[in-house]
Amino acid sequence: MMNLERIKASVGRKLHRQMGLVAFLLLAALGLGSQAPAPTKVRLALQWNHQSQFAGYYVALDKGYYSARGLDVTILEGGPDKDPMEELRSGAADVATQFLTGALTARDGGTPLVSLAQVVNRSNLAIVAWKDRRIRRVEDLQGRPMSLWAEQFSAPYLALFKARGIQPAIIPQYYSVELFLRRGVEACSAMQYNEVHRIFQAGVDADEVTVFSMHDLGFGFPEDGLYCLQSFVARSPEASRAFAEASMEGWKTAQKSPEEALAIVMKRARAVHLPANEAHMRWMLTSILKSIFPESAEAWKPGELSREDYGRTVSLLLERGLIKAAPSYEAFTGKELARVP
Amino acid sequence: MFRRHGIAGRMTLFVLAGAGAVLALVVWASGRHSKKLLEQELEGKARALAAATALRIEAVEKSVTGTADELAALLEKVPIDRESVYVLLKESVRRNPQVFGSAVAFPPGLSGPEDTGAAPYAWRTGGSVSVKDLAEGGYHYEISDWYALPKVLKRPVWSEPYFDEGGGGILMATYSVPLLAGENGDRFLGVATCDVSLAWLSGMLSSLPLEHKGYAFLISPNGTLIAHPTRQFIMNESIFSLAEERSDEALRVLGRKMVKGESGFVPFVTLTTRTPSWLAFAPVSATGWSVGLVFPKDTVTGKVRALLLTQILLGLVGFVLLFFIVRFIARSITRPILQLDSATRVLAGGNLDAPLPTIPGEDEVAHLSSSFAAMQKDLKAYVEELKDTTAKKERVERELEIAHSIQMSLVPRTFPPFMGRKDLEIYATLDPARQIGGDLYDFRLLDDDHLLITIGDVSGKGIPAALFMAVTRTFLRGFFSEQLETERVFSRLNDELLQQGDTSMFVTLFCIVVHLPTGLCRYTNGGHCPPYVLRASGAIEAVPNVGGLIVGILPEAKYKSASFQLGPGDKLFFYTDGVTEATNKANEFFGDEGLVGALEELRAAPCQDLVTGVRARVGRFAEGAEQSDDITVMAFTYWGPDRQPGA
Repeated sequence: MMNLERIKASVGRKLHRQMGLVAFLLLAALGLGSQAPAPTKVRLALQWNHQSQFAGYYVALDKGYYSARGLDVTILEGGPDKDPMEELRSGAADVATQFLTGALTARDGGTPLVSLAQVVNRSNLAIVAWKDRRIRRVEDLQGRPMSLWAEQFSAPYLALFKARGIQPAIIPQYYSVELFLRRGVEACSAMQYNEVHRIFQAGVDADEVTVFSMHDLGFGFPEDGLYCLQSFVARSPEASRAFAEASMEGWKTAQKSPEEALAIVMKRARAVHLPANEAHMRWMLTSILKSIFPESAEAWKPGELSREDYGRTVSLLLERGLIKAAPSYEAFTGKELARVP
Repeated sequence: MFRRHGIAGRMTLFVLAGAGAVLALVVWASGRHSKKLLEQELEGKARALAAATALRIEAVEKSVTGTADELAALLEKVPIDRESVYVLLKESVRRNPQVFGSAVAFPPGLSGPEDTGAAPYAWRTGGSVSVKDLAEGGYHYEISDWYALPKVLKRPVWSEPYFDEGGGGILMATYSVPLLAGENGDRFLGVATCDVSLAWLSGMLSSLPLEHKGYAFLISPNGTLIAHPTRQFIMNESIFSLAEERSDEALRVLGRKMVKGESGFVPFVTLTTRTPSWLAFAPVSATGWSVGLVFPKDTVTGKVRALLLTQILLGLVGFVLLFFIVRFIARSITRPILQLDSATRVLAGGNLDAPLPTIPGEDEVAHLSSSFAAMQKDLKAYVEELKDTTAKKERVERELEIAHSIQMSLVPRTFPPFMGRKDLEIYATLDPARQIGGDLYDFRLLDDDHLLITIGDVSGKGIPAALFMAVTRTFLRGFFSEQLETERVFSRLNDELLQQGDTSMFVTLFCIVVHLPTGLCRYTNGGHCPPYVLRASGAIEAVPNVGGLIVGILPEAKYKSASFQLGPGDKLFFYTDGVTEATNKANEFFGDEGLVGALEELRAAPCQDLVTGVRARVGRFAEGAEQSDDITVMAFTYWGPDRQPGA
């Protein structure tokens, strides 16, 4: 924030110095009768409440990365009662964040989605289990009561259980881990960047639970991506490309200055009176950044959906019967698929 | 080192130092003790208050749980159509002021595949109670904790507190009871709930009688802060998130104890100001919450400090009082001493009449004062006496001086005595001692041919002795003018002196009459030491003793005379016992040996040199010792008639 102010001030001083030149240019422009194009309005619908999961977009907005590309971006907060896919369909939003699995399910359901960027390439899905219930390996979940998210979220888990030949007693899991904390279930699904830490923040020590990472178990699939309708890409090819670029620039800045990004996130959360604490948001940011930017360059290209991952995800969903068909990789990513330089 | 201060100063100093040490010890000990006591007291109070607060919260929650339990029991047993449920709920909310809202949520599909579920809800708005179906408007209540938890857990559940979205951000908690039917209670019919507003909690907690800067907080079973003076914390932070933020492992351990339903009293650091404090915590069993009461340690240390400050201030006041009291006492003791001191200074200056201070009482100083008075009296008497004695002594000395001057006026002191006489030479000295005196010598020509030489020593001293000497001399001159027989003169003198009637007065006397033409000497000795004859040849001989008592003792004393011949150049040496009995510091007498030795050395010298020489040797011998007797030395040289003038 301070930096921004300083930059603004510095620019102001320069402007002041070059006032004469600017005035001249302005007059010249008017004389020529040409004007700068009006910024393209883009409304981004998030799939959940404001939190570090979306830090890159807030940073891009705050730092002016969108406006620098001629975009006038509004970020719409999500929540348990909101479906970003529905917002795209209804025209309430232009771009939405969504799990790749969710996007594919929606596309299969008839929403003409195009992927602008695959932001989170490494899975954050996990299983948390009570150690005192003697759950040390995935196989120990056999027959045990476990809460699990529904639909596309459950697909990697169910694939895992099938592969391991186990059948936990599944109970639907919604947005809280209370059932797990109150011992209503012995295990639950969790996001590395969220529920795992929420459980810790509810006073459960790390050595009291076993955390299985779906990625480590080989059942990790790409998660958050930026999606829009085909019509949007067709209408504003430059804008959709620019939006993806600016968003990834925002994420890069968040990686470089996590504390600054954290402050921006906290400001967002506080503005809408969301229960949030810095420790949790810091954990979330640190975790998600690891799943956006790989430790080794070979792992994946940040912001890009690999053909292989796309194929794996499509196979998973087809196999689970969550989709009947999937578009080609090229069709799904579109011609205007954002590439991060 | 304290000697240079007065008694009063020292006394004040020592008493104050002692009192100061005692005061410091008392302050220190009472500080420790009261801190311990206050901490114990605080612990008891804090624990009790925490438990009482927990009970107060529980009492409110119980009234809510009772309402929900009754509602559930009713719905489980009596089938009621959904419309009637609204009436029931409305009534239930109206009747129970603690209940903010109440709902019954039915599972979708309960009455058939078309059943999308329903959740009749009644809640307070302003002064009245409104109703609605929560299922309307796309609200998926079946994914809410208040619905899902009791359904799965098959027991009543208190939800984690939450901000009511519709109710203007009021903090709420919901108590949900599952409606179970069937033999084993395994048929789930829905959930009955009661909402309770937690808005009253903050007010209640902030009205707790906590010490200055103390505060209360409340955490949920997950450690989430439900109530805390820092509003920012409420629902945002849990005790565990704060522990993580502050890397405070101890806080996390404490949080775990609290959410496990333990109670305790532990050291604590406040979450915002990092103030060292005590924390008392107690569980609200019904909801699984935990009440924490924070008491900053400085409320205890502050009290102790205030107590100590009071003690120190009182002590200082006491000190000042003590200072004046001690000084007053010390001065009351030393004032008479000082008065005595200045009085004795005047006394010592010689003014014995200086008035002494009168000190009343029977104490040591009064005794000292009276002793001084007695001393003064004695001194005065002594000085008076001394004055008397001195006067007497002065009189005696005056007398002695007179006597001496008489004595000295009686002996011839002009040398040479006989102008024109070449046939004889004579010289004498008399050194009177101060105390005992009475030597006398005399020489006179009785006629042209006869020379009388007398030496003697009168007993006694002072004027009587001097007068006795004068009398003796007068008698001798008188008698020798009548006759030359020395033994007769002695007898007559003896008689005359005895007739004076004073038997204590007597005299040793030696008289010799020299017939100058021939050198024949006739002499008589009355108890005196005989003179020496120093022959021109060099022989030294004592004049032969003829016997004879001291003159003036016995009436019938007989005196004899004898004679011997002097040749030209022979000398006679006379002396009194002051010479031979002269003593040195070792109390040895000069003695006859000393005298003869001196004579042998000086025999060839003229009379004057012989006399002064002997006298000088006696003086050297006695070196510094007091002269106790008159010393008289006299020498006579007989040159004979043939000696020519100028020879």
